[in-house]
Amino acid sequence: MRALVVEDDDVLRQHIVDVLSEGGFAVDAAANGTDGLFMAEEYPTDVAVIDLGLPQTPGIDIIRKARAAGRDYPILILTARDGWQSKVEGLEAGADDYLVKPFHKEELLARLRALLRRSNGWAQSILVSGPVAIDPGARTVTVHDHPVELTSYEFRVLEYLLTHAGKVISKTELHEHLYAEEDERDSNVIEVFIRRLRSKLDPEGSLSPIATLRGAGYRWDLPRPNAG
Amino acid sequence: MVLAGFVLACAAALDRAFEDRALTTQRDRLQGLVYALLAAAEPTADGSLSLSPFRLPDPRLQNPGSGLEAALIDQRNALTWGSVSLSDDFPLPPEVPPGSFDFVSDQQRFSLAFGLRWLNPLEGDQRYTLVVMEDRQAFDEQMRAYRRTLWSWLAIAAVALLSVQGTVLAWGLVPLRQLRNELSRVEQGSQGKLESDYPAELAPLTDAINGMIRSGEARLARQRNALGDLAHSLKTPLAALRALSEDARLNRDDQAAIAEPVGRMQNIIDHQLRRAVTAGGRSLAEAVGLKDVLERLSRTLAKVYAERQPQFEWRMPAQLKIRMDSGDLYELMGNLLENAVKYGGGHVRVTAGRLGRALVIAVDDDGPGFPESPERLLGRGVRADARTLGQGIGLAASDELVKAYHGRITLDRSADLGGARVEIRLPV
Repeated sequence: MRALVVEDDDVLRQHIVDVLSEGGFAVDAAANGTDGLFMAEEYPTDVAVIDLGLPQTPGIDIIRKARAAGRDYPILILTARDGWQSKVEGLEAGADDYLVKPFHKEELLARLRALLRRSNGWAQSILVSGPVAIDPGARTVTVHDHPVELTSYEFRVLEYLLTHAGKVISKTELHEHLYAEEDERDSNVIEVFIRRLRSKLDPEGSLSPIATLRGAGYRWDLPRPNAG
Repeated sequence: MVLAGFVLACAAALDRAFEDRALTTQRDRLQGLVYALLAAAEPTADGSLSLSPFRLPDPRLQNPGSGLEAALIDQRNALTWGSVSLSDDFPLPPEVPPGSFDFVSDQQRFSLAFGLRWLNPLEGDQRYTLVVMEDRQAFDEQMRAYRRTLWSWLAIAAVALLSVQGTVLAWGLVPLRQLRNELSRVEQGSQGKLESDYPAELAPLTDAINGMIRSGEARLARQRNALGDLAHSLKTPLAALRALSEDARLNRDDQAAIAEPVGRMQNIIDHQLRRAVTAGGRSLAEAVGLKDVLERLSRTLAKVYAERQPQFEWRMPAQLKIRMDSGDLYELMGNLLENAVKYGGGHVRVTAGRLGRALVIAVDDDGPGFPESPERLLGRGVRADARTLGQGIGLAASDELVKAYHGRITLDRSADLGGARVEIRLPV
């Protein structure tokens, strides 16, 4: 999952980036409203954290313009505690939740996970697809209730495919949602991740959860996670 | 008062002038009578002087009791001749030198005496006094009639003048009264500035007042913006500090050692900024519609707490307005509604309305109610930096806000929803 962070304070922005990276997100970060607006409109973002008090373009404008441009990923706004009017304005502009500064990193991650869950229409925090169950918060996977050890990137690939079950995901799209803009890229690495995932999740070859569609991409073939 | 004094002085002067004039007229008339009588004088057989009854100038002299009397008195003070109308007890006139008049007015009559010398061809030089007397009654009657007329006309004039003056004054004060009413509406917040047209004489004053209101609002807005900026600029580095305290490279004790003072700083800043930013008191801010604020807040909360599916219910007059800074009202109702959604069972009811001299707003929910003692939840008697997070922080903030508007908050159990009830009373 790819997250966008727009925050003008360097220390706080770095902290949020660290927390999100640790939480398994690929993170893009902007230090001002102008960069933030560009990223919010152009990057393949899955979830955004936007501070409302920004130099140049105010946070509220970023939200409004991103929504006007048809971007519908969930947005969490950061506000001061005594900012009900700005919370209301932010939500009316199209944000989905607010978090009052200062906050604990666990709370930030929990809110983002909840937003992603809600925007995909899942009721539970653990996503179950056939015999495979993943916990995006704890970043753990079980198959038939047996834990499976995955690396961070393997988990990201699994999470993205599983949450988009039934849809064909191109290599480029996987790439985009796996890596932030400034990360090093290697186009062959996706194939490696897919191969390792197949062998770890389905060592006997009885499940075949991931289908390869030549020239198009990959598809998660187990049922969609528990909707509703 | 001045007018009354003026009228009285005027009356006195007129009265005096008229009386003088009337007396002079009286004297002149009597004098004329004296001359006419002299013309009727004729010598008698013994050479003394008498008056011919046929040549008397005024028929009243021939009527007994007519009030006009005439007498001729010789130098021995004996009555030589008396008119028919002469009463028996007429006062003897004083000795008057020949050729001169003596006018006397007493309680009953006016009398004019004239001294004359008669050259008696038989007895030589004789001196007489001719006296003409007229009853005072007619004169007094005339004076009374005059005074009645004078006073009634003066009274009418005074009343007319007073009412004209009152009307002019009242008419002249109409714009001032309007100004006063508008000012009190501005103070109550139902009006933002003075709007009516005022006469040119008042325009500088109303312009100055409007300017004052504008600059007051602008100053307030500037201060609040400055404080908002300060809040933002302080909170972000504090959030950064807290972030540093969670650095995995620090051991647990060091993390706690940093987090504790950071938390205290955070609470102190929150507390002081809230106090400073709260507009409070009798601001000149316009009244805010409560329902609009609640609608916006409830839409926000419904989105954020979508999985709780909160149901909001408003029981209040649609036009209910609250004389409070709009930021403060958002803060107050935002905190209370969020608590109700967060800790309640999903049903939130806000009831509001006037109750005597107070405006009452109550927020009810169907949750488990307040877990702690109300005093502790409102943070009363607890130092700002020692307060705990959670339900209490919103309530403590609301309590401070309401206090700034001289109102008060009470916490209770909701009678019909069964959960928590927060009741706010604001003076109107």
